[in-house]
Parts: sequence; C-alpha cells; structure tokens
Amino acid sequence: MSREEDRYRQELEDIYAARRERFRVLVCIDGSDESYLGLKYASRMGAHRADCDIILLYVRPIDQGLHSGGLQVRVARENMLSWGLELPGIRRLRKGLEVLVGEDELKEEWTAETTTTTVDGDPLGDNKIEYRHPSGRTIVLKLKVAPDAASGILDQYELGPYNLIIIGSGRRGRSRLRATLTPSVSEKVAYHAPCSVLLVRDLVAGQGHLICVDGSDFSKDVVMQEAMIAQRFPDPKLSAVCVAKDDEGVPEAERIVNEIRDMLKSELNFDLRGTYVRVGDPVEQIVDAGKDYSVIVLGDSGKGTMSRILGGGVSTDVMRLAHNSVMIMR
Amino acid sequence: MGLNGLSPKAITQGIDPRAMKTGVRRVVRAGRQLNFYYFWEKRWFFIAMAVGFGMLQLPLPGDLSREGMIVLTMSVVATILFITEPVPLPTVALMIVVGQVILLGLDSTNVAKSLMTDSVLFIMGSLMLAVAVVKQKLDKRIAWLIVRLTGTKTSYICFGISAVSGLLASFIGEHTVAAMMLPVGITLITLTSDDPKAVRNLAAVLLFSISYGCSVAGIGTPSGGARNAIMIGYWKEFFFDPTDPESRKFLIDYVHWMAYAYPLFLVQLPFVTMILLFTFRPEYRNLSRAIVKLRAEVDMQGGLKPGDWIAILIFFLVLAGWITASGEIGMGTVAIFGAVGFLVAGLVKWEDINSGVNWGVVLLYAAAISLGVQMKDTGAAHWVSEHFLDVLKPFGAGEGIGLWAAVSGLTTFVTNTMSNGAAVAVLGPIVLNLATAAQESPIVIGYITAVSSAFAYLTVVGTPACTIVYASGYLKTTDFLKVGWKMCIMSIIVMILGAYFYWPILGT
Repeated sequence: MSREEDRYRQELEDIYAARRERFRVLVCIDGSDESYLGLKYASRMGAHRADCDIILLYVRPIDQGLHSGGLQVRVARENMLSWGLELPGIRRLRKGLEVLVGEDELKEEWTAETTTTTVDGDPLGDNKIEYRHPSGRTIVLKLKVAPDAASGILDQYELGPYNLIIIGSGRRGRSRLRATLTPSVSEKVAYHAPCSVLLVRDLVAGQGHLICVDGSDFSKDVVMQEAMIAQRFPDPKLSAVCVAKDDEGVPEAERIVNEIRDMLKSELNFDLRGTYVRVGDPVEQIVDAGKDYSVIVLGDSGKGTMSRILGGGVSTDVMRLAHNSVMIMR
Repeated sequence: MGLNGLSPKAITQGIDPRAMKTGVRRVVRAGRQLNFYYFWEKRWFFIAMAVGFGMLQLPLPGDLSREGMIVLTMSVVATILFITEPVPLPTVALMIVVGQVILLGLDSTNVAKSLMTDSVLFIMGSLMLAVAVVKQKLDKRIAWLIVRLTGTKTSYICFGISAVSGLLASFIGEHTVAAMMLPVGITLITLTSDDPKAVRNLAAVLLFSISYGCSVAGIGTPSGGARNAIMIGYWKEFFFDPTDPESRKFLIDYVHWMAYAYPLFLVQLPFVTMILLFTFRPEYRNLSRAIVKLRAEVDMQGGLKPGDWIAILIFFLVLAGWITASGEIGMGTVAIFGAVGFLVAGLVKWEDINSGVNWGVVLLYAAAISLGVQMKDTGAAHWVSEHFLDVLKPFGAGEGIGLWAAVSGLTTFVTNTMSNGAAVAVLGPIVLNLATAAQESPIVIGYITAVSSAFAYLTVVGTPACTIVYASGYLKTTDFLKVGWKMCIMSIIVMILGAYFYWPILGT
C-alpha cells in the first residue's frame, strides 16, 4: 500500500514539476461577456506559443436538494441528460472553446481526452476534456462541482498550479466595507488565490499594461514577472507609474521608475513604453492614470480581512475603483 | 513604534516589556493558527447561538413557563438558521433533537418517537414516489399531449404547460413535475433558437409556466407538497381528542382538503399565463418549428410499453388509495405502498430512490414538526400568539378578514426566506393558537397558512419548482423578482376571496 502511495505521490510531483515549466492560465467562464473577453485576452497572451496551457473552468454549485423539496436536483439534471440536453456549464465551455480554436482546426489538428471524476451527490461529477496540439499546447475544458463558485476556483488552483487566473469582475465602486464583508466571487478569488489574478472589466485589448511601482524589492519582482507576461503578447506595451505623496517625493519617484526601466533593459532587454511620476493619493492617481490602458498591474498588498476594513490596501482599493481591468500580481 | 509593534506608551506603563512582548507574540501566533474566515462564513450560526443564550438568560415573562421559554428559544434559533443557512439544514434537525433531550430534559426515546408521524411517513413516501415517477420517462408523451391540445401558438403552449404541469403537480408534488417538465421547456427553447440571448423572454415564459404552474398547484391536494401534510399533522396533534366526537372535524382527509384548495388552484391557472405573457413578451409567437422536431423525437419512442402501463396503474392505485383509504390507514401508508409497488414491479431501482431523495429533508421536517408539537405542549405557541394578536388588534387585524390577510402576509414573507415546508412547520403552531385566541376557525387559518406558503414566487429557493427550473441556467435571480411580486398579489387576492366567499359554503 505504502509503495503504491509513494508511486502515486511521485507521479503527482512529476506532473506538478512538468506543469511548473509551462505557462498555465486558468480562465473562469460564467457565461458573461466579461468572461469571454478575458478568454480572448488569454488567447492573445499565449495561444500562439507552445508552452502555454489554457484551462477553461466553469463551476456549478452543488445541488441543494433541500430547496427542491427533498427531490435532489440531480434527478432533474439526469432527466435533462436523457433528453440529450447539455447542462448550462457545458454549453458555455463549448462557446469558450470556439473562441480559442476554429471547429475545422480542432478536428484536424487537436486530439481530445475526456476524464470524469465522481463527486458525491451529483450525476455528472467533475468533467474534463483535454485538447492537445502537436506543438505541445493544451486547452482544457473543466466542469467542476463545488459548494460555491469562489471555492471551486480556489480548489482548482490546488490541482494546478497556475501562473494566472482570469476572472470577470462585477461593477466598480463597491464600498470598502462591502467588498471586505461580502466579497463578490472575483474579489474572493483576488484576495485568496496564491497566484496572480486578472480581474476583467471593460477589457479593450491592445492598449498595453500600466504597472505601478514603489521601489520595494517586492515591487521589482512584480515588474519582472509582469514584463515576462507582457512579452508573451505579439506587440508588448508596458508602461510604469510611481506615485509620490507630495512634491518632495517626486525626485525619489523619478529615481524609482528610472531604476525599473534600467533593470528591465539590462536583465530582460525589455523596453518600457513610458515612465510616469504622479503626485497625490496613490489609489486616485493610479485609477486615473490607468484609464487609458488595457490593464492596471499592481503587486498584492497582502493584507488580511481586518486591515482591509480599517486601512484598505492600494491594490484592493484600485481593484474596487478602477474603470478597467486590474491584475494583482503574486 | 517600539518592540514588535508595541507603542512606547504600552512599554512604559509598568509592565515588563519582555513579558508583554512574549504575550503579544502568543496572540499573534494563535491568530495565525485560527482561521477567521471560518468564523466569518459561519457568523450566523454564532449569532443564532448568542441570541439563544441571551434569551435563556432573560427573566421569564409572567405567563410563560421555563419549558415554554426553552422551546421558544429553540424555535427562534432554528428560524435564524433556516433563513441564513450557515450550516447544512439537516444539522438544525439534529440540533433540535439534541436540544429537546438536553435543554428540555425529555426522555430520548420519547423524542425519537415524536419524530416519526404519519405526516413524516407521507413526506418520505411521496419523495420516493417522485423519483419513481420521474424515472418512468413519460415526459415526452406528456409534452406531445400538451402540444397536440394547444397547437403551435406560444401563448396557448404556455397555458397548456401550466395547466398540465399544475394538474399533475397537484397530485404528485411540484418537485416531481418540475423535474419531468424541465427538459420539455428547454427542448422547446433550444429547438427554437441556439442562441440563448435570442430567446431570453421565451425561455422565461416557458420555464416560469412550469415552475409557477407547479407552485400554484402544490396547494391543490395533500400530496401536492410537504407543507400540506405538515398542516394536516398539526390539526390532528393540536385539536383532535379521541374522546370528543366533535373534534373529529380536525381529522382532515384527502377529499376534504381538495374541496377547499383545488378550486383556488384552478382559478389561479389562467392568471399565471396572463401575468407571464404580460411581463416577458416572448420573441416568438409561434413555435411550429420546435413542435415539428419534438414530434419526431416522440415518434422515435414508439407506443406505450407494458412497463409504462403498470406505472400508470400503480400511480392511479395510489391516487385512489389517498382519496378513499387515507382516513383509515393514513396517507403515509398509501404513499409507502406506492413506493413498494414501483420497487416490486422493478420499475425503479432502490439505488435511484436512495440517491434521488434528499433524506435530510425527511429528518428536517420530522424534527420541525416535533418542535412544533413541543411549542403547543409547553404553552409557548399560545404565549406568542396572544402577544401577536395584541400587536394585530390596533391595526384592525385581530379578527376576520384582517387577521386572514395578516396571517397570509406573514406566511408569504416567511416562506420567501426559507423552504415552504419549514415555513409551515415554524408558523403552524403559532397561527393555529392565534386562531383559537381570536376565536377564529383553526381550519380556515390553517388552510390560509398552508396555501400562502406556496406564494414564494420571489426567490429561487422559495419553492422546489423554482429551484429546479433555475438549475437549467436560463433564468436570472432578478427574473423571479420581476414577475414574482405580481404573482404574490394575484394569489393573495384569489385566496382571500376564496376564504371569504367559497369556504363558508363548505361549512367552516
């Protein structure tokens, strides 16, 4: 038994090690326009590269038999399946696949493998279809059952790992208290996911990323990571902004952005499109400066629930207030 | 800031800074071990427990016994948990059982006995029957029957779906019919257009025709829903005295219930279609394209097979048993007999029944009814109802039609926040005592409560049929609000008019 366990563990470790070598993007699909915009963005980011895996995830809430008067919803679902009807999640994932690959190309060039994992109390369980391209690229459609969407997405990370989670974000402007006490699915994922998260909001592709820097070591790591992501796009456009609290801080802010520019040039041979220094409240300035970009990129402020209520955090506040998409880097 | 985040002021307050530092470290370390997110997610559980603890510390109101206060506390805690659902609902049932033994000091065997009544047996049997009926795959034939009767016009099909769903749901439960008819609705939608956005309103009209058709029908007979059986159980427990022949009127049988409630369902039916067509104007006025394809699918099934005929026979035997023999052997026994029939005939596998029924519901209703009986026995229900009546009187709602409207409004509110069976289980003891205190007929007030508990049109979780059609993924939660309030007003008006003009003819 223990030998089998060891072998199984070794197999898992090998899989994880192989996955760490690849760029893996988890795109959460819920049928909204935002989620498909996010998928298109993921496609621009990696669809043409051999080291990229795109995983489309749809989370179905687990059946609540109590609300259906004691008859499990699975009975209704089974009946739907026997009619040859697809469940909502499958339909939405297929639409996502069409965004990534044309029907003819899929038939001719890709191979498919289907896996099903039994989940107690659900007729379908977790389902996975993995499409593989000879170049090494993979696209996975995953239909997952979980108590709620956020738990399902975070659980999926554990099966990963992933480099980036892309999720549609609801409306902007929720108060700090509400966002902390009753976080939406995208906010929960952004707070708790161990990897970087892109919250998609009115995403217009092709306008580049704006990264916010503050001179810390963590901020430098974030810039390096982001530059590597930006390089994946056909036409990488990355600008950096540093916000000084007052006029006295401007020279220091200028030094920081210049340092970042030089670091990217020397280590990655990557040119920044522009560097900016702004003066004022960091959140207001970043939200305003980021309006003209596709995505605002920030490092995670790493705050807990209490400190989010009391003091907020630049990244979480920008996430709430930004007009456009925000990427939280970890 | 000083050592490890301590302010210099704290350090200079005469406490050994090193001890303080260690103490803070401990707290910080403990904080890392604790998962505060867990406490936040379960906050309503802890709030409910705190409310319960607080209530038990309060001095007893003059006319309420200690036991009454404990049962009242348990009811309040259970209600908070029913509404907020911080823990799986069957947990609440288990807590009620434990609470009755530990807090009330009742003998555990007596508590266990109080859990199983004919009503609970009936709920259990009906659920097993529901799974068995859905498994017979008669849905395509029913769908074809509907479209043969209605033709291809969208409005007629909607009425046909509501009417047939309703007629079936009134006997075999709304959840059964919703599960059977859901594929019919979705097939009609997908055969009309592959693009969900192009058939948004059509989808809403067709699916709501199923769910609301079933919901308004659930009141029609005792087998329409668990809440009806719960109310029948309460009438018997509270008012029937074997030594008093007068009290036999509280033994409500199947036919008696139908006489009161069935006409209310039939009157509501046309309004359902009207409200739906008025609220969501369907994109297609004619579904002939979808009907042709549906017909082709039904033709492929061929004629009725012997197994189908046996299933139909068992179903009608059960129905006949409920109508003619439920007074003598109990409705629960008839339902169980039906389940046995399906199993013996090999029409359904036990594994299907076992996985298709949520047994937690049976446990939940059993515990809720047991608590309801304790509410009556300890005088808690009487105490609450008297005080509630004092509140209603200044508004002219202390008697007659005002009281009916108040009870109906209260039930409609509660049933929209929790499952309708739980709503009747929680409210039943209070409103029946309210009827006695206000010198109204407990039968009329009981019917008003049971019927009003079907008016949970506003939320996805309100009625079983709504939950099931929502699982299709075609509806939004806001759709329920958009049309639900109109349905609530229509249903309350129909019921009050029925109670005022029709029920007196039956002699209450």
